[in-house]
Amino acid sequence: MKAVGARLPRYDGLAHVTGRTQYVADWSAPGMLACKGLRSPHHSARIVSIDTSRAEAHPGVRGVVTCKDIPKNVVGHLEALGVPADEPYFADGEVRYKGQLIAGVAAIDEATATAALDLIDVVYEERTPFLDIRKAFDPDAPKITEKGNVFFYDPYDHRKVTKGDVDAAFEKADVIVKGSYRPSAIEQAPIEPQGCLVVPESDGRLTVYTCTQAMYFTMGVLAEHLQRTPGSLKLVGGTVGGGFGGKVDSASEPCAALLALKTRKPVRWIFTREEEMLCGSVRASWHVEMADAISKDGWLLGRKVLTLHDAGAYTRFSSYGATKHSFHLAGAYTVPALRTRAYVVWSNHVPTTAMRGFGVTSASFAIEMQMTRGAHVLGMDPWEYRLKNANRPGDLMPTRKVLEDPSTIDTIQACAKAVGHPLSATYAEMKNEGRSGEWLPDHLRDQAADAKLGDPQGAAR
Amino acid sequence: MHLVVNGVEEEIRSDALTSLLRVLREELHITSPKAGCEQGGCGACTVLVDGEPRRACLTPLAAVEGSEITTLEGLSDGVNLAPIQQAFYDKYASQCGFCSPGMMMASTALLTSTPGASREQIMEALEGHICRCTGYVKIIDAVESVANGSAGAASNGAVAQGGSR
Repeated sequence: MKAVGARLPRYDGLAHVTGRTQYVADWSAPGMLACKGLRSPHHSARIVSIDTSRAEAHPGVRGVVTCKDIPKNVVGHLEALGVPADEPYFADGEVRYKGQLIAGVAAIDEATATAALDLIDVVYEERTPFLDIRKAFDPDAPKITEKGNVFFYDPYDHRKVTKGDVDAAFEKADVIVKGSYRPSAIEQAPIEPQGCLVVPESDGRLTVYTCTQAMYFTMGVLAEHLQRTPGSLKLVGGTVGGGFGGKVDSASEPCAALLALKTRKPVRWIFTREEEMLCGSVRASWHVEMADAISKDGWLLGRKVLTLHDAGAYTRFSSYGATKHSFHLAGAYTVPALRTRAYVVWSNHVPTTAMRGFGVTSASFAIEMQMTRGAHVLGMDPWEYRLKNANRPGDLMPTRKVLEDPSTIDTIQACAKAVGHPLSATYAEMKNEGRSGEWLPDHLRDQAADAKLGDPQGAAR
Repeated sequence: MHLVVNGVEEEIRSDALTSLLRVLREELHITSPKAGCEQGGCGACTVLVDGEPRRACLTPLAAVEGSEITTLEGLSDGVNLAPIQQAFYDKYASQCGFCSPGMMMASTALLTSTPGASREQIMEALEGHICRCTGYVKIIDAVESVANGSAGAASNGAVAQGGSR
């Protein structure tokens, strides 16, 4: 263990401070063409027709690609986990969000490619967009798909976690505290816009210079779209000018690769900041409704949660995000009875994706706001209310995991100390150890029995 | 048109209204100034024009005709790192590294005009520069270490030893 705790120089530090680090936009290749993408101006519309002939005839344009040119248009990011593919790479017959990619143009320079976008004639038939996920279950809400606006994956239409007797907990409660929490969508906004350079090699392979955060993931998605073997693709990357989850969706590579194959020239596509902000995938916005059953002496007896996760127009990683969210809805606290329901809702917003613990951050935000609200209703110190209900060794998580060494108590005590918040002696001296005495109330006596109940998903069905 | 870039006289063929950023990156292949937004918002393209920090993305070539341009590539003597580079390296002020060139150029301008700049002056000089990785503290610490003389001595030959990948 020579590295842990040591101040080692960064392996890429010298290149960073001398300007020698090669980011994706710093690569170029002889004869390189510039790529630009035509994007939907509408939140929701049927595409009646796409005519690229004027753009193709424009001087300086070397190639145009649409859904007709991609060997496999619909590829799912979570197909390996059983989530059906639903997202076309190029819009085909409809657009479901403002900014959705319809066509790609390769031209001798960026200005020519940009000018050619205006020469692609698309006839739209606009539809009423669905933008407020709280109306997902309204019978008259616009439908994103024939199946409706709510999805998860077969056989479930939502993720549920159930533990203990929730109804009994709410009957027994002295206080019921309710809250709605709505963390908004966030653009990852790395300073480096995403993009790639695809070079067709003489042996038929494609070399793909990319800023992807996930090289093998991108290789797999690209190989699927192109219907090529991964071995026919050589990805060069690993240098990412910030990603934070926003560079895992392989947004630029398939289009640039198709144009490189079509033109037999290197093709580079770097998103503009405007594209990055308006069309790039974001962390989802969420609507979380939470009710806590609490005893007057400050014990959290039960919790009910309803979550709506705004996936945007297509699935991407949302089912996974909603699952992570659901598994964390007790937070760092022990809740003996819990019933959560998380729905993933399609809308006409941009598709949402990874961003730094996505799914969990929305759960944490809601839980911590709710804990503070609960403490205020009880007239308790919010720090002490958290410590009283903190996870302890031997406690049972909603997922039936028995905790071996949780850190809630130590962390809250350290935070209180760091900000100078005084704790009463009882809580300042509280130890992170198994329950006994005053810290073993009746409602937490049967945790070992609950652990044997098995699948928390199954328990509720 | 001509520019003096990192001490080298250059004849420029780009159109007069081309941004200085595009001239540097695409005509001269000097790539340390970064195109983070090309709207003047992020600071990653900052270079020195006759010693003053400028957003290269918003500066047309015609406006700087004949000027001396300094980029990150021009800060070291080719063998030793400049103090600001050494401080960024030693104090982990670069994480993904994309905003670092602009940060270092703005810091260089500040430390030239105000060698003993205070922490407040450093924060003011860097306030138009966005970093999404570090949270800024290590960047400000690095600049401050140069300003107050607590930075370590440059390790000889650091540049010559490489760092390219």
